[in-house]
Amino acid sequence: MKIYIIGAATTKFGELWGVSPRALAREAVDSALADAKLQTSDVDALFVGNMLSGMLGGQEHIGAFFAEELGLSVPAFKIEGACASGGLALHNAVNSVLSGQYTTVVVLGVEKMTDHKPEDVATALMGAGREGERLAGATFPGLYALLARVHMATFGTTEEQLAAVAVKNHYHASLNPNAQFQTPITIAQVMKSSCVADPLKLLDCSPISDGAAALIITSDKRQIIDKKPVEIIASVTATDSLGLAQRESLLELKSTKKAGQKAYALAHMAPEDIGVAEVHDCFTIAEVLAMEDLGFYKKGKAAIAIANGETTLGKSKHLVVNPSGGLKGCGHPVGATGVKQVVELVDQLKGRAGRRQCGNARIGLAHNVGGSGATATVHILMRD
Amino acid sequence: MISPVKVWRNQKFVARMVARRGVVVSWTVIRVPPADFGYQAPYPVVIVRLDGGESIAAQMVDYEEKHLAIGQKVISVVRRTIQTETDDVIPYGIKVKPI
Repeated sequence: MKIYIIGAATTKFGELWGVSPRALAREAVDSALADAKLQTSDVDALFVGNMLSGMLGGQEHIGAFFAEELGLSVPAFKIEGACASGGLALHNAVNSVLSGQYTTVVVLGVEKMTDHKPEDVATALMGAGREGERLAGATFPGLYALLARVHMATFGTTEEQLAAVAVKNHYHASLNPNAQFQTPITIAQVMKSSCVADPLKLLDCSPISDGAAALIITSDKRQIIDKKPVEIIASVTATDSLGLAQRESLLELKSTKKAGQKAYALAHMAPEDIGVAEVHDCFTIAEVLAMEDLGFYKKGKAAIAIANGETTLGKSKHLVVNPSGGLKGCGHPVGATGVKQVVELVDQLKGRAGRRQCGNARIGLAHNVGGSGATATVHILMRD
Repeated sequence: MISPVKVWRNQKFVARMVARRGVVVSWTVIRVPPADFGYQAPYPVVIVRLDGGESIAAQMVDYEEKHLAIGQKVISVVRRTIQTETDDVIPYGIKVKPI
């Protein structure tokens, strides 16, 4: 059985004070259904990826909540894995179709974060970590700063090299009308931005955002209108310890390594086959780690390569990373990100990414992480 | 407010973890604190590998800037973790100080 993506859409990401979670979901799903030329009556199930609806919005049970809002009287599920919620929702949707119980499934990633004070959002996000980290007052920038510190001490990675990740992703975002940030930034601007958790500065950190993204997947070839449809050829999840202190090594995210290796094996691919990738750059150091842990570069070698433009649109000889702008440039509405990454890959593989088009990539990889690496999902997509 | 039952249950962990020696394996300074920690910022958070093999994340207290270093020796101590209302149980937890 093959799984095809027949519809893909996102909303604008950003501080969308005038837009409710219901409106975000309707916009994303209506657009995805239109993309697939389908009606709600064609849908067999709904998977919703979201982290904070309870803590921030007081609303749990959002499988049912969004099923009602979308006019889908179908089995509906909320899937949560912190910032990997979107990737996990897709993974579970894929498995539900592979089971044979459902044929055509909607995956919705949605998050509403900007209704609340940043310090309250930061507290809610700490729910993605371990209690010991919360009692220590370790925010998420703090946890990734701990990873950055070890990477810099061991491999000589510099703050300027980390800053280059943010510069690249803001440049890509400036070509993406849906991205939260629309202006390029410079290394100097990143270096001058105020310190959030040493050594990570404001511009090393992805923002607090609102947004939604939706995918329609199916195993039914009759639903396919594109002569060359996009196929999901691997969908993998891996788990590691909840907290950083319990990791075997602070120089890598083992969950990413495990998910990546299994995904390549299932897809019969290797890192060099990937032409376009969306990886989880919640903080600049996270993209450096991702490039190493996904096998694109040897340990300790990714930062300088990124700083040299090896994965930048227009400069790269092959692989472009985070053409959407990544989490840093496009924004990071937590539950929506993992789904948006795959929407971006679909647009790239179908040649409809406009000014962000990365040549004729045939194979794309999406990498979505929960917390400081407790969960990682990897999806590999192919279009002939 | 932290549930007094949770504070009581956490006492077993605190009792087990106090006065343990260890080494800093990574450190940062939180300058933009979350809601309950505003009055403490900026404060260092470290990962410590304790003698005996276990590792923990904790705040560092009673420190000078030179102590924020990979390899710094520390010992675990009991400190109040967050400021609470006057009718709350005071939450104590494990922090570390340089030795």
